[in-house]
Amino acid sequence: MKRKVNINRPEISSEEIAQRKNFDSVLKNHANISGKPLFKKPWFLSSVIVATVAIVTSVVLLNQDTKHEVPDPIATNLQQEINSELEFYRKEEAKPCISPPLKDVNVPYTTFKVIAEKGANLDFKTGSKLVVPKNSFVDENGKLVKGEIELRYREFHDPIDFFVSGIPMTYDSAGVTYQFESAGMMEMLAYQDGKPLNMAPEKAINVELASNYKGTEYNLYKLDTVKNNWACLGKDKVVTTNETKGKAKPDTAKIVKIQQTPEYKILETKKVEIQKEKELKIAALPKVAPEPKKPELAKAGKYTFDISAEGYPELAVYKGLLFEVGDENKHFDKALYKITWDEATIKEGTKKGENYLLTLRKETKKYEFIVYPVYEGKNYETAMKDYQEKFSKYNVVLEKRKVDEKRIEEEYQAKLLAIKKAQEAQFEEWKRVMASQEKSMSKEEQVRRMFSISSFGVYNSDHPSHYPKGMKCSANLSTDKNVKLLCYEIYLADKNKNGLFTFNRNPIASFSFDPNSKNMLWTVENGVLYWLKPEQFTDIKSSDGVQKLVMNRVDQKFKSVDELKTYFNF
Amino acid sequence: MLQTSKYHATKTDLANELVQVEDAKKNPAKFAVLYDKYYEQIFRFIYQRLDDKEQAFDATQQVFVKALENLHKYEFRGVPFASWLYRIASSEVNNLFRSQKAQRTVNIDSVSIYGIIEEIQESKIEEYHDKIVAIIAENLEEDELQLIEMRFFEKRSFKEMGEILEITENNAKVKTYRILDKLKKIIK
Repeated sequence: MKRKVNINRPEISSEEIAQRKNFDSVLKNHANISGKPLFKKPWFLSSVIVATVAIVTSVVLLNQDTKHEVPDPIATNLQQEINSELEFYRKEEAKPCISPPLKDVNVPYTTFKVIAEKGANLDFKTGSKLVVPKNSFVDENGKLVKGEIELRYREFHDPIDFFVSGIPMTYDSAGVTYQFESAGMMEMLAYQDGKPLNMAPEKAINVELASNYKGTEYNLYKLDTVKNNWACLGKDKVVTTNETKGKAKPDTAKIVKIQQTPEYKILETKKVEIQKEKELKIAALPKVAPEPKKPELAKAGKYTFDISAEGYPELAVYKGLLFEVGDENKHFDKALYKITWDEATIKEGTKKGENYLLTLRKETKKYEFIVYPVYEGKNYETAMKDYQEKFSKYNVVLEKRKVDEKRIEEEYQAKLLAIKKAQEAQFEEWKRVMASQEKSMSKEEQVRRMFSISSFGVYNSDHPSHYPKGMKCSANLSTDKNVKLLCYEIYLADKNKNGLFTFNRNPIASFSFDPNSKNMLWTVENGVLYWLKPEQFTDIKSSDGVQKLVMNRVDQKFKSVDELKTYFNF
Repeated sequence: MLQTSKYHATKTDLANELVQVEDAKKNPAKFAVLYDKYYEQIFRFIYQRLDDKEQAFDATQQVFVKALENLHKYEFRGVPFASWLYRIASSEVNNLFRSQKAQRTVNIDSVSIYGIIEEIQESKIEEYHDKIVAIIAENLEEDELQLIEMRFFEKRSFKEMGEILEITENNAKVKTYRILDKLKKIIK
């Protein structure tokens, strides 16, 4: 046999191969083959033959004492594990339509007492309004109910509300599953003596549902708990009012001064740090010796004293130092000059570094004069020459230090400027957030979504959407002990979208999220919450393989939905 | 040095994959996950044995059509799902050869030949290079070529080779070394 051999054929890139993927074509081909009558399917005849052979063989083998093939124990164990996982999924899929995932946490109902034959106008704490006409309730037999009834009402406005309620936020339409983005959801039920009531025919309760969203892209849906799907009822009506009654209170806890934000505080600390850094750098520069003292020539006709200048090194640098009596000594008696004194001392005078106080003592007598250091003749010339050399060296060192100090100061100013700019940017962002929050609060006050309901249940002002896009991968959720989480529903919240994006089964075959948004992923295994914090999303890289997501176990026990919201702080 | 193959899977990978297979059995649209995962591997396997790129792409597509069509027959045997796909791919390629729609082609990079020469502990590298190419082209049986191809040109482990060819890892190893002995004898 002769084969063709290619040596070093150019390799095809993964990108080129990926471009040729066409799963739709595979599916279409499959559908075409599957659509044929059974006997026309290519595998039918062969299966019939194989089955016949198998049956015959089995009969023959069963009548013989043959050695049976021992199954692979590893494969058997794995198959058992997988079967138990599939059994878990089957149980999850069989759960009721509304299944709160946490045992002790749910959005509570508010109960209104209504006299059935009178009806009522009800205000809810969020600003929602309910108009219940008289004679709106019938019992299970369709008989009009009279007397006091209980109207149980609750609302759901954010992903955590949706999550704890266990109300599905997916919508199947024409075989396509959508994820809901909600402008608000409510549930209303009625009871008398603990027995559920229905709405009377041709009666409708008007609902003005307080909402944070005034867009018109939302439809009104009612949850069909039997079909486990939502029924579209058309559009709701959006009203914006300026009424103050019943408005939601601004969330003052969220209003903080820019100076109180952690980001701002960090930069303030940084300012102090760079100031200290500058001071340390300057302190570390080579020290500059004191400026050399310029020698002064003794004036003619003035009295001078030859006194040791011990203790004054700046005076001892030149030879032949004398102290000249200053003009300020008006009463200097030249006779004093002729006395041989017992003791003569000098100390700093009235002008530091310039003049000195000379004290002369003889027995009990004491005289003090202001004197100036001077030099005479050759000594002066030598001192002057020495001074010029020293001054020149001093100047060089001084100039270098000035340059160094300037450089350090410039570095400091540049850093300070950068911090100030960052603080300005923070301030702008803070203003934007505050404005947005104000706007949002304003919306809470003003926007209501109006619709009428003619039966009790769950109503949702939603628009069908898809999973957030931007980053896509497969995701395998595990604990920090590297144990795969056995969970059915996995929830994603995206700060830019008011929805609860739900994935089924771990691993998530096609997980996607928007990396430019703030995200949070969580699930529940055996009643225990596990979550992936927003900051952990930066570690997720798009990949063909499966990304392992290490979920954080939440051991805290929550008693209310508000506690849960505080914990997530999303 | 053998590269780490994408084929290898942990116990968890196998379990996850089987869940995907079970899903796809119920809903063919969910086969997309497995299609995405294995498309490149299967294409490269086929293209290694063919000369024509377009023909390789067509055959790859055909492998997945057949896999989906026969998915209800798939039984888990403790090895990656890929091994089942490789067997379908191998059958698809053989069909092309039998129907003479394609010529059996061996695609070799020179480095792999040096790997064989190193394995048979010969030092006359340049001289033997061409001889080995010639033996591959004419003297090896198809099942022998498969083993050499998988081991040296596709850099597969003996474990993986065993799973694809439905023989034990040790058997794959023994057979490969027998072929190398045969090569050595023919060369000399």
